Amino acid sequence: MLKSEKGTAASLRLGRGMEQWSERHLRYLMLAPTVVILLALTIFPSIYMFYAAVHRVSPNPDLPWTFVGVDNFARLLTDGQFQVALRNTVVFTVVAVSIEFLLGLGLALLLDKFIRRLTFLKTVLMIPMMLPPIAVAITWKLIYEPQFGVLNEIMFRLGLPIQAWAGDVNLAMFSIIVADVWQWTPFIFLLMLAGLASLPVEPYEAAALDGASSWRQFWDLTIPFLKPVIAIALLLRVMDALRLFDLVFILTGGGPADRTKVLSLYIYQVAYRFADPGYAAAISLFVLFVTIVLSTWFMKRMRLAE
Amino acid sequence: MATIRTRNRSREMLLRFAAYLTILVALILTLFPVYWIAANSFKFDIDIFAVPPEWLPRNPTLKHYDEAFVQRPFLRYALNSFLVAIGTTAISVTFGTMAGYALARFRYPWQWRKQISFWILSTRMMPPIVSIIPLYLFFNYFDMLNTKSALIIAYTAFNLPFATWMMKSYFQDLPVELEEAAIVDGDTRWGAFLHVALPLARPGLAATAIFCLIISWNEFLLSLIVTLTEQSQTLPIGIAGRVTQYATYWGEISAAGFMACVPIVIFAFIVQKHLVRGLSLGAVKG
Repeated sequence: MLKSEKGTAASLRLGRGMEQWSERHLRYLMLAPTVVILLALTIFPSIYMFYAAVHRVSPNPDLPWTFVGVDNFARLLTDGQFQVALRNTVVFTVVAVSIEFLLGLGLALLLDKFIRRLTFLKTVLMIPMMLPPIAVAITWKLIYEPQFGVLNEIMFRLGLPIQAWAGDVNLAMFSIIVADVWQWTPFIFLLMLAGLASLPVEPYEAAALDGASSWRQFWDLTIPFLKPVIAIALLLRVMDALRLFDLVFILTGGGPADRTKVLSLYIYQVAYRFADPGYAAAISLFVLFVTIVLSTWFMKRMRLAE
Repeated sequence: MATIRTRNRSREMLLRFAAYLTILVALILTLFPVYWIAANSFKFDIDIFAVPPEWLPRNPTLKHYDEAFVQRPFLRYALNSFLVAIGTTAISVTFGTMAGYALARFRYPWQWRKQISFWILSTRMMPPIVSIIPLYLFFNYFDMLNTKSALIIAYTAFNLPFATWMMKSYFQDLPVELEEAAIVDGDTRWGAFLHVALPLARPGLAATAIFCLIISWNEFLLSLIVTLTEQSQTLPIGIAGRVTQYATYWGEISAAGFMACVPIVIFAFIVQKHLVRGLSLGAVKG
C-alpha cells in the first residue's frame, strides 16, 4: 500500500489496469505460450509438408520446386518398396506389441503379490526401457554378432545350429522383435502392476463367497477393471512401434533383402539417400494419417482427454 | 480339512517358488545385456573378439574410454546432449507447467479445455519421422542446421506436450481449497498458482523435468537429420557414427554406450515413484 501511494496517480491506474487485465485473462495467458509453440511446431510443418508432397522437391535449396499434383501419392500405390515397408511395420507392430503385452501381463499377474513392496527390484526391472535406444541397439548387435556373439556361443553349447541372426533373411525381423521385447516388456509389466494395485478388493471377496473360480474372477473382474490401463499401455506401445527406427538403423539397416525395412527407415532413405523429399513428404503424410486415425479412435474410445 | 489346508499351503509354496524363480530369470535377462556392454567396454579388442567369449574381463583396461572420450570427440557429444537436454527441459517444463495448471484448473468457453488437451496430446503422438522433412527444410532455410538451438526447437515439439500432460495430472491431484484460501486471504489468482500450487507440485515438477531430460538425452532420429558436425552432434549420433559399413568399433561404442546409460539409470532410481505416471503421460497414477 505504501509503495503504491508513492507512485503518481496515472502510473498507478495504468499498473492496476494491466494487472487487472492480466488477472482476468490469466486462463488464456497461461495457456498461450504452449499453444503458440505447438502450433508453430506442428501446424506449420504440416502445411509445409502438404506443399512439398505435391511438388518434385530438389534437396538443393536453390533449385525451384515443380508442381506435380497427386503424382507423389499415386506412386504409393505402385511402389513395391513402400508396400514392403508397410507390411514390415504392421508385422513388427502386431507381433512385438502382442508378445510384450502377453509377457508383461502374465508377469504382472504372477508377481503382483510378491513384488508389490519391492520398489527397488521393480525399478531394476524397468531399466531397459529407460536406456537410450541406440545403446540398446549396439548391445544387441554385440549379442547377435555371428562370429563372437554371446547368443551363438549359447546356441553352440546347447548343440543348436549357430545363426547369422540380424544378418539372416529369415531371422532378421525376429532379432529386431526380440530386442524390442527386451526393452519394452517392462513398460507393460509396470503399467499392469499399477493397474492391479488399484483393483478394489470387495468384488473379489464377493466372487470368492459365490465360489467363482480364479479363472472366472480373472475374466469377469480383473480384465474389465484393467481395461483402461490396458488401453493406454497398448495405445502408447502401438504408437511407439509404428515409429520404430533406431533399432533397425543400427541392427540391420533395413536388410537383409529389405526384410526389416520399416516405414520410418524408408522415409529416411527416400528423403536422404534417394534425395526425394517430395515423395518422402507424401509417405509421411500417409503415416501421419494412419497415426491420427488410430490414436483418435483409441483416445476417443478411452475418453483419455477428460 | 487338514488335507485341504496342507494342499493349499503346498500350492502356495509352489506359487511362491515359481514367482521367485521368475523374478530371478527376469533379473538375469534384464541385466545381462547391460552387464555385457559394460564388460566389453573394459576389454582389449582381442578379448572382445575371443571365442568362446570372456564372461568376465580377465584383463580389464580403460583403453576404450581413452579412445572415445579423449582421442575422439565423445566428450563433446556428451556435452552437446547435455546442453540440448537442459535447454529443451527448461522450455518444456516452464511453459508446460503453466499450461498444465491452466488445463487442470480453469474453465473455458465451448469445451476448449477438452479440445485443447486432446490436441496437445495428439501432437505427442505424432511420429518424429513425419516431421523430419519440414524440419530439415525449415532449419536449412534459416541456416540453422548443425546448431544446438535447432535440436532444442525440434525436441520441444514432443517434450512440451509431455510436460503439459504430466503437470496437468499432478495439479489435478492437488486440493483446490488451498488456492481458494490464498485468494480469500488477498492473493491474486496468479499468486495462488505461484505461492501455493507450484510449491505443492514440486515433486511432480522434478519428476517431469527428469523425464524430459531422459527423453531428450535418448533421442536419435531428429538429431541424425539436423546435425552433421562434431560441434552439434549428440551422443547417440556419435555412437551410431562408429558403426560403419566397413568396421564396427566395438570397444569405443561399448564405452560410449555404457556411459550414455549411466546417468539414465541414476535418473530412473530418482524418479522411481513417478515411473508409471511419467510413462503413461499422466494417464495412470502409479
